[in-house]
Amino acid sequence: MQATVLERMDLAARRFVPFGVTLVLMLFAMTPTHIPGLSHVTPMYALMAVYFWSIYRPDLLGYGATFGIGVLEDLLSGTPLGSGALVLLVCQRVVFNQQKFFNNKPFGIFWLAFALVAAGAGLIRWICVGLAAPSGFTPVGQMLTSTLITVAIYPLVGWLLAKAHVKLLAES
Amino acid sequence: MRQTTRQISRFGTLKSLLQRFAFLSLIGLTFALILIGKADTVLVERARDAVTDAVTPVLRVMSEPAAVVSNFIENLRELAAIREQNATLREANTRLLQWQSAAQRLESENISLRGLTGLVPEPGASFVTARVVADTGGAFAQSILITAGQSSGVRKGQVVLAGEGLVGRVMQAGLYSARVLLITDINSRIPVQVGEAGNRAILAGDNSLRPRLMFLDNKTAAAPGDKVVTSGDAEAFPPGLPIGQVARVDEGVVELEPFVVRDKIQYVRVVDYGLTGILAEQAGTK
Repeated sequence: MQATVLERMDLAARRFVPFGVTLVLMLFAMTPTHIPGLSHVTPMYALMAVYFWSIYRPDLLGYGATFGIGVLEDLLSGTPLGSGALVLLVCQRVVFNQQKFFNNKPFGIFWLAFALVAAGAGLIRWICVGLAAPSGFTPVGQMLTSTLITVAIYPLVGWLLAKAHVKLLAES
Repeated sequence: MRQTTRQISRFGTLKSLLQRFAFLSLIGLTFALILIGKADTVLVERARDAVTDAVTPVLRVMSEPAAVVSNFIENLRELAAIREQNATLREANTRLLQWQSAAQRLESENISLRGLTGLVPEPGASFVTARVVADTGGAFAQSILITAGQSSGVRKGQVVLAGEGLVGRVMQAGLYSARVLLITDINSRIPVQVGEAGNRAILAGDNSLRPRLMFLDNKTAAAPGDKVVTSGDAEAFPPGLPIGQVARVDEGVVELEPFVVRDKIQYVRVVDYGLTGILAEQAGTK
């Protein structure tokens, strides 16, 4: 049976979810939360989304989309152009390469793996920004705090992403 | 059956090859972008302007809920402290009335003295008020995006203030939005004077909450609690803008606590003092 135009549009919209959600999370990281002390150590929300979708829907968030989100983040946040994109791409590559490892693993393992990915991502970004900035490296402590917060809140963000995955992408 | 399996596996290999090719070319592209960004071409700046202009309305909508919640909490806090605050304000009012009469007397004295010496008055400053819609960079850069750009007279290099003091300087001005480099950013360098003695120093950000004083003439002269204001050297900032106070002096490291609390800024003033300073020199050498 041929799908109607509406059905096809619905499917296309659903397939856009991983990219859309990652984009929104990237922008969310920039909105002022007015929580004291948090603006200096904002969690890497885009990284969480890229990690999640690379495991569950690698078919719907490819390298091109990730690259686009990374470049957009760099342009908006004033960080050296290319540094954000590099981090997200490397993270995605690592997850794609370990696709078999992630099969049917409990959440604890996903979280632990994410901690490793986030640590690597924080380090790469720190080196990139330090090398590109004329004034040198940012204090390591801040990068570590940001990474720790990212890892700490991953269960919450991951849970929300899983909800979106089940609700919107179950049939597609 | 076997043929189909072979076809699928061939397709899989092709897909993985394509994926690897895409990955490697995109990684190459990011390195190219890093190099282009490092060269700091006009092109990158234009791209940043265009993207910021396009996304600012979205960020504006997204920042609304957090602002509402924050205002609500602030209101509750104010309500709790209203009696105490009222007493303090009454006291401050009496004191300010005395200052007002003193100021009026000094103003008239000033006018008559200026008339006597024939002093040419300094050009007045004009300002634009804008909303803060994004707090960008996290641990790696310290800047904010505001909802005013070239169309409202905002230009690169202008001074940005909040109620309590200096916030930073306009680093990039799009048509309807602008990026402000905060005083805490690792690339921020501001000529300042410290305490009543007015010792000169450079205030350097390092992406942490507390920027540091560098090249301080006399390190022993700085003590916790000393006020730090702009010195007006290099003509990037007018002299006397309040920035913060010395928070800690430890083995030659002098840390400053800014008056402006970054998490609380919702609106800023972009002030045009008609200064060109370092930016004009940079433009001249390019």
